Amino acid sequence: MALAFAVGLFLVGAPLQAQQTGTVTGNVNDAQSGAILPSVQVYLVGSGLGTLTNNNGRYLIVNVPAGSYTLRAERLGYATQDMQIEVTGGGTVTQDFSLESEALGLDEIVVTGTAGAARRREVGNTISQVDVADLPDNPTNVDGLLQARIPGMSVMQSSGNAGGGAKIRLRGNVSVAQSNQPLIYIDGVRMRSDAFHKNVPPTGYPGRSGNDVASPLNNINPDDIARIEVIKGAAATTLYGTEAAAGVIQIFTKRGHQGQARWNASIEQGFQRLQKFGVDPGLRPSSEAAETSAGGTSDYVFINPWLRDAYQQKYSLSVSGGGDALQYFVSGSYSDDEGVLPNDQQTTSTVRGNFTFSPLENLQLQWNTSYTNDEFFNTAAGNNAHGLTLNVFRRDANYRGSEAREDIDPLLGQTISTQIDHLITGGTATWTPRTNFTNRLSIGYDLAQQNNRNLRPFGFALAQNGILSDGRSEFETLTFDYVGTLSFDLTGSIGSALSFGGQSVTTETQQTVAYGEDFPGPGDPTVTTAGTKLGFELRERVVNAGFFAQNVFDISDKYFITVGGRVDGNSAFGEDFGLQFYPKVSGSWVVSDESFWSMDGSQLKLRAAWGESGRAPGAFDAVQTYDGVGWGGVPAFFPRVLGNADLGPERTAEWEMGFDGSFLDNRLSLDFTYYNQTTSEALFAVRQAPSTGFIDVNGGNSQLENVGEINNQGIEIAANYQVIQGREWSWDIGTSISTNQSEAGLPEEVANISVGGNGWIIDGEPVPVIRGFKVMNPDAIADPDIQPDQIYGPNAPTQIIGVHSSLTMPGGILLSVRGEYQGGHYVTQGVAINAIGRSVIWPGCYEAYAIAGTDVSQGPLSATDPGYDQLTASQRARCNPNLAEGEFWAEPADFFKLRQVTLQFPVPEAWIPGTAGANLTLSGQNLWRWTNDEWTHYDPEMGGNSDNNAISRDGVSNGDFLVTSISEHIPVPATFTVALRVNF
Amino acid sequence: MKSTNTHRADRGCTSRRATSGLRGLLALGLAFGVAACDTDVVNPGPIAGDFLDSPDAQAAITNGAGRALGDAMNWISYTSASVAREIHPSGSTGSFGITPEQQRGELNNDEVNTHWENVHRARFMVEDGLDRIDQLEAGEQDDEVLAQLYLWGGYTYRLAGESLCEAVIDGGSAQDHGVFFTRAIELFDQAASLGTGDVRTAAVAGRASVKVWQGDWAGALADAGSVPDDFSYVMPYYDIGDDNQGNRLYIAAKSEPYKAHSQWSTWVEGYGMSEDTPDGDPRVPYTITGTVGDASTSCCGEVPFNPQTKYENDDAAIELSSGPEMRLLEAENALFNDSDMATAVAIINELRADAGVDPIAPASMTEAQMMFLREHAIEQWLEARRLPALWRWNEAGVPLETLLQPLEQVGDGNIQTGSHLQERDFCFPISEGEEQTNPNVG
Repeated sequence: MALAFAVGLFLVGAPLQAQQTGTVTGNVNDAQSGAILPSVQVYLVGSGLGTLTNNNGRYLIVNVPAGSYTLRAERLGYATQDMQIEVTGGGTVTQDFSLESEALGLDEIVVTGTAGAARRREVGNTISQVDVADLPDNPTNVDGLLQARIPGMSVMQSSGNAGGGAKIRLRGNVSVAQSNQPLIYIDGVRMRSDAFHKNVPPTGYPGRSGNDVASPLNNINPDDIARIEVIKGAAATTLYGTEAAAGVIQIFTKRGHQGQARWNASIEQGFQRLQKFGVDPGLRPSSEAAETSAGGTSDYVFINPWLRDAYQQKYSLSVSGGGDALQYFVSGSYSDDEGVLPNDQQTTSTVRGNFTFSPLENLQLQWNTSYTNDEFFNTAAGNNAHGLTLNVFRRDANYRGSEAREDIDPLLGQTISTQIDHLITGGTATWTPRTNFTNRLSIGYDLAQQNNRNLRPFGFALAQNGILSDGRSEFETLTFDYVGTLSFDLTGSIGSALSFGGQSVTTETQQTVAYGEDFPGPGDPTVTTAGTKLGFELRERVVNAGFFAQNVFDISDKYFITVGGRVDGNSAFGEDFGLQFYPKVSGSWVVSDESFWSMDGSQLKLRAAWGESGRAPGAFDAVQTYDGVGWGGVPAFFPRVLGNADLGPERTAEWEMGFDGSFLDNRLSLDFTYYNQTTSEALFAVRQAPSTGFIDVNGGNSQLENVGEINNQGIEIAANYQVIQGREWSWDIGTSISTNQSEAGLPEEVANISVGGNGWIIDGEPVPVIRGFKVMNPDAIADPDIQPDQIYGPNAPTQIIGVHSSLTMPGGILLSVRGEYQGGHYVTQGVAINAIGRSVIWPGCYEAYAIAGTDVSQGPLSATDPGYDQLTASQRARCNPNLAEGEFWAEPADFFKLRQVTLQFPVPEAWIPGTAGANLTLSGQNLWRWTNDEWTHYDPEMGGNSDNNAISRDGVSNGDFLVTSISEHIPVPATFTVALRVNF
Repeated sequence: MKSTNTHRADRGCTSRRATSGLRGLLALGLAFGVAACDTDVVNPGPIAGDFLDSPDAQAAITNGAGRALGDAMNWISYTSASVAREIHPSGSTGSFGITPEQQRGELNNDEVNTHWENVHRARFMVEDGLDRIDQLEAGEQDDEVLAQLYLWGGYTYRLAGESLCEAVIDGGSAQDHGVFFTRAIELFDQAASLGTGDVRTAAVAGRASVKVWQGDWAGALADAGSVPDDFSYVMPYYDIGDDNQGNRLYIAAKSEPYKAHSQWSTWVEGYGMSEDTPDGDPRVPYTITGTVGDASTSCCGEVPFNPQTKYENDDAAIELSSGPEMRLLEAENALFNDSDMATAVAIINELRADAGVDPIAPASMTEAQMMFLREHAIEQWLEARRLPALWRWNEAGVPLETLLQPLEQVGDGNIQTGSHLQERDFCFPISEGEEQTNPNVG
């Protein structure tokens, strides 16, 4: 299959034109620094001939018929440059370019917050964009690509499990009942943004799993991406309508270009290694052995005997090119990654074909298709009594009654395998009947099929007769999208661009799960062979449809006012609920285009925007329903959803203001934004008094209601400064700073809402806030003064600071570093209390044991220990099993992580004959972590993603997807890779 | 059966079409929009509430009420068994476990939410079901099914009255738990009137047990007298791969993976039948595994895992009413109300003879009362009835501190000197969830 694929790529990549007359070649560099510029599109205007510069900034166009041409060089972030050339038969024209950087790129086309596309200068919202072609590193997935790059965005990798996806938040949580995961569009096609289904049996304890979930976002090959726009907040997402309040991620994949085929091949090899996340063994009391019988030490919370250096490999190949009428980009990749846990393994294959066809001068057809096969195996982990991690962390008070290797290893006999086949295909027709009138119609289809197989075989240590669950899920998203734009001049200096259109998005989820237990004997079972068999089915369809209109008033190309709105209907709205209207207005002023602007080499745009967006309730939330639950084989009803005919979407209104500027001869770029968003009519799962008795089979007794408010406000700053600009040496530094202060508003009649992990929604407090029992005299040498219902602080970070720097050295060697700080929040170490409450000798209590003189061979801390009276109140509360409560382990979770260090060496073309340049890249990710002094162990970023889907879609309860809490997982390991990328 | 969320956006679309001033220009967009306006969706699965008003729904309504009662009993029988010291904690404190506070004998409001909710769901299922069936036309009601619903209702209110410290109905204010008993009597009356066979006998037996709580000993004895010695009416549980429908007491000590409770250091150890005591009382069987529980306990560290074997599978039923229960009710009346030791001892010895164990021969009234209390513990072991009985006797001034066996007593928390219990709550308080959501009790 791989051979066939390669042959196919070569066939596609064959030159469309074979005429040989002349050659055009040259180098492209940055006018200020002299640095070479890869991925610049260089083409002969109107000829269909062109290419991209290679990693050495060099381009080569052959087969150019003799004649006069305009040679154009284009690249995002740089001003386009034209050169007139004369090509002769058999001759070679050498034409170099020095492109002027445009820190603001005011005339770049973006889609942020607009109907269709717009120039940056017209947009009243902040624009966050990642030009993937500019990235020196090559992250293994899109989660990693986005991490620490966008102000206001947090990307939290929740565990070190293979296949795990990140929890992404833009400007905090805008909902406590619905998903806060941003919508994802790829080349205009809406794809599933919420996580795939967790691989867990549908009955019994819901944690018999690896307890992490995969993200559809990671089904996109990062090598295929040209750029990503992140659209934050309701002021920008208005035209996306209901469902867009949590923001939108727009991904644009690479497209073909005019000219000869250009091939890119890369080979990447590496490994993952888990860094220490436990407690220094030197702190252990004298009665504690240095190692467990299995060889585990406290700096890894005893799991090191089961860890491995995990081999990673990835191979990619792509080709792009085309002629006047048809351009193409075709790619494929294969990766095979071990995980650091013994059963973890992930294999991913992707193929993509992007085609642009221009049959008429005023008609362009674009068809993009990708297919991903993602298969991964997980080790049972998380809060799972059958899992490896829990039983290791709980030492000899675990479910095996032993921490010996021979007693733990049998737990690895279970198989947790997930296979995801993901097809995303979509076409866009752009018709421009008149120069001032464009029409764009897009149709997209996203189909993901997931097979979850979860087997504890016959003879398994903790389920002797065996248990098998086999689930098939299908996720479909169908998008129809039309937008028309009519531009005309109202007066000589005032232009108008009217955009209008409609969009329909239908999402459908189907899941069937076969479950069996009690197998007759060993062997590879099917559910059919089980003694007890159960079946489960879910079908859910939601349709959202709306119309929008927008007008941009352009005054002298300096002042822009945009007004618009969208009207939405949604199948999940209550019967008594009509359509929803979401308005928006924004403005921008390019101050630097004014005659009074005297700062040469600088630009400034002021902007402000206000808008509304929404989030729809779940498919079943509005209607009173019962469940057919069965009872021993006979039919039985149970309550399900109380119902609320007035149920509608929650509405998020936001205003933001700020500026985009470039100063100091464009060496300093600075963006600043202040935002203030309020979700009103917020959907809260309002708990009903249990004595009313309408309680579902899972114990939920809440009903979604449009009550209360959620407010988020903060600032976002992005700054970049070119410290050194030179041909040999250049040095850039940058930072992104964002803050988020959230506050819940609950009506008096609505009770505080528990969202798990000691997280609460409380009037006047952050969303969510950690609350519970607290030691009021933590540092006193005394018994703890414990008070209930005390506030610790927000669970979500209130400050995120990203820093990055890149240093270019002679020879084009590039060193790039990126780090991120998150802080201001509290996270509960659930893993600690889960162990201490079971009298486990816990590393986090080593200091207390040592002071108290606890003989840990006889048991945990006790009030009768000789030095107990010397302990602080906090130590007693945390480590005495008779006192311990989970909230005592809520800790300030500030951290800094060195996300990435990359060293890139250009490889001379002569070193690899037949190529057009190559790069050798050494890269490390998540190499180092700093935590607050009060943070005791584990990783503040892990946890909280056992299921990042909102579970309130049935009006059951608010989901623990909202809260980060440390469970029995391992952190994300460090990754070290070396990659060779070759152009030819 | 079909449901459910069908909502329309047609009205808005019509108005938009009517007001559009760019009809020609927008032809393509509007054509597309007509299709896009169709937001009618019918999703299968959940059952619309209205369907339960159908005559065809009666059986499933009643089964739902039965399952809800089974859920409530499952939780209360387990937790109350720990506090009553019918079992000893041996590990897990979370899923299928006994929390540290419950291990100490405390039933605190933040740890009884599920128990409280389950009881009230069972209550709702009965009352909601009766409301719906009451509206059916004459001839549409299925009397057999209705009698069963009344019976589940009677037992539900008995469980509520026996287990919950206070009564709260539908978000109202707190009342004496006796109001549950009043409703239980009404429902048992209806079940006895409409039902036949075992359903009728069970209703009478259930009514007898409730009348004891009401102090109506005459009524109780009259009902009890009509219940045969060998009568038994049970709450069924099921082994169908759904832990919610299985016997929780069994699953919590099934070793897959939970080994959360043991008979170690309880009065059962050494008295009941086991490998070490093959001649022990077969009504309180347990097994010696030679292993320890699934986690250390806060009182005692790792403790031997010697679980009960009264319930030997997920589908082990729990008795709701029985002939022996009625006989013990008669014995209690003889012993405590009539001071008639001979009658009480005769009844007890008849029960013991049926079980194949030696008779008792108390030398004093106090000794007879001690033996009665033990016999009660044996007969209703792990049936969610022991803690309520202790509550009732404590309310009646029965000197539990002298009559209960040492390992059933509240101790000083030191397992070396007796019970590890430091205190004992007799009933489940109003849950934290109720207090937080019901302004009438908050």
